[in-house]
Amino acid sequence: MKLACVVHRYGADIAGGSEGHCRLIAERLARTHDVTVITTTAHDHVTWANHYPPGETRVGPVRVIRFPVVRPRDLHRFRDISDRVLTNRANASEAEQWFRENGPQAPALVTFLETHGRAFDRVLFWAFRYYTSYFGVPLVRDRAVLIPTAEEDPLIRIDSLTPFFALPRGYLFLTPEEEALIGDRAAPDTPRRVIGCGVDPPRPADDTRLAAAGVTGSYVLYLGRIDPNKGCDRLVGHFLQYVDRTPPANRAERATPVNLAPAKPVLVLAGPANMPIPEHPLIRRLGYVDEATRDALLANARVLLIPSPYESLSMVLLEAWNRGTPALVNARCAVLKGQVLRADGGLYYQSALEFAAALDYLLDHADVARRLGAQGQAYVDREYRWPTVIQKIESLLEEIAPRSSLTASSSET
Amino acid sequence: MTGGETIRVPPLMKQIEDDVRSAIRRRLVKHGMPAYADEQVFERVRATLQHAADGRDLNVLLLPELLGDEVEWSLVPNLTLSSHRSSIGTVILLVKRRILLPLTRWLFEYSQNNFRRQERLNRILLASAEELAVENARLRADLDALRARLHGGQGAPG
Repeated sequence: MKLACVVHRYGADIAGGSEGHCRLIAERLARTHDVTVITTTAHDHVTWANHYPPGETRVGPVRVIRFPVVRPRDLHRFRDISDRVLTNRANASEAEQWFRENGPQAPALVTFLETHGRAFDRVLFWAFRYYTSYFGVPLVRDRAVLIPTAEEDPLIRIDSLTPFFALPRGYLFLTPEEEALIGDRAAPDTPRRVIGCGVDPPRPADDTRLAAAGVTGSYVLYLGRIDPNKGCDRLVGHFLQYVDRTPPANRAERATPVNLAPAKPVLVLAGPANMPIPEHPLIRRLGYVDEATRDALLANARVLLIPSPYESLSMVLLEAWNRGTPALVNARCAVLKGQVLRADGGLYYQSALEFAAALDYLLDHADVARRLGAQGQAYVDREYRWPTVIQKIESLLEEIAPRSSLTASSSET
Repeated sequence: MTGGETIRVPPLMKQIEDDVRSAIRRRLVKHGMPAYADEQVFERVRATLQHAADGRDLNVLLLPELLGDEVEWSLVPNLTLSSHRSSIGTVILLVKRRILLPLTRWLFEYSQNNFRRQERLNRILLASAEELAVENARLRADLDALRARLHGGQGAPG
């Protein structure tokens, strides 16, 4: 099949969730299909400033066509319009304007889809919230597959999206919770699959990387962008409360023979930081870490912490389970809680007190924690190995032969 | 617990959540909420408030519909610049946007974050009031049904 993958940014050095998901899927599909990625020249997800040269290039096994962004994102204007749109107080035209302000505005990409979109057998769109999907899907709706990467944030509830979600011929969801968010706004009987993302079996971890990174002893891990939007400010607050509330003597008394680690673990924060991190002897900030260090950190952590209130999948959770590490996740994120319950791979919390109690439990019951991690690993084996994921995608692509009766329409060209 | 047995998360979480709720309840009782000495009362109150805070779309409530036009009561955290002067209005707007706004943006954004939090809290309080009203309506209906049954059992009056 001749496939197009439309995404707002694309590149081997782009770490974003939906962009990374697109790249992994595109590269796998390229083994058996003719795959073209249609994207913008943006690299920075905040400004959308042009970075890559426009035109055709190759990234790995995939042909990539990039279109320029005509206007960087004006954060003030975007924030102002967001306040109206996200509280569902905006009319349809303001809602449409929100997608322009969110960007990345690349009208040439939209024109390309209008003129050449039908040359592809199927067109896959990543992330409903961006300009590229919002204005692109209507143009090729008879062959469009949407991977919404939707999160339970206020945008998903706005009325203006109802007609948009009725357009795609097929849906690929990351989790059952995401499918429920779109719900009956997809056209009746629209083919759909819950695919998640493929994960390769783990490579052996090089534990010497830990000492090189200055990590010794027992630690709990946060891995990813250190940002208030990811719940990291609350995570640090919860952890400091936990440390202050739990006297070392009590922890030592409750330790089991198999749990002889120091009474209080260190919180290791690995990833680029967008917020101040307090100086504390039990908080270790590593900054960006390479793949090998990342593997070692995941393999040896007592617990992976995921405080984000908004996630559509969480690859780092799958990576931790892939290495048999249990997780403690924010229950206010339905996806994270749902994943933990389906996998029986960790615990969850809603408040600082629950965070402390659940973390205490996992640290004090090392045998249970290990088994939760192993159950997470079994879940990854069951659901997220590449052959399983690709088979689901292939079956959907087969099922949705384009209907010639559906005509293109767009307000953007 | 045997080696091959699956460890289920829900019972573990129930134990942890029960422990935490019990600790919260004891603290509240200790600090002047004797009503929560009754565990059932505490649990019912908690469940009602939790549902108001978590279990619904806070933008879809009955009370705001009854309050009338939203602009009269809701917070407006976004900034809309305008001028009522037709002739020099464009110049005034340009000055506001290009000079005054950049100078005062930090203060506006500081307030805006607080406005957002206040707006969310207001919505949760509206949802809580509505949750209590629903609970009250249900209790009234139950009470009316009980009264009717009681009077029916004693013979209809008149």
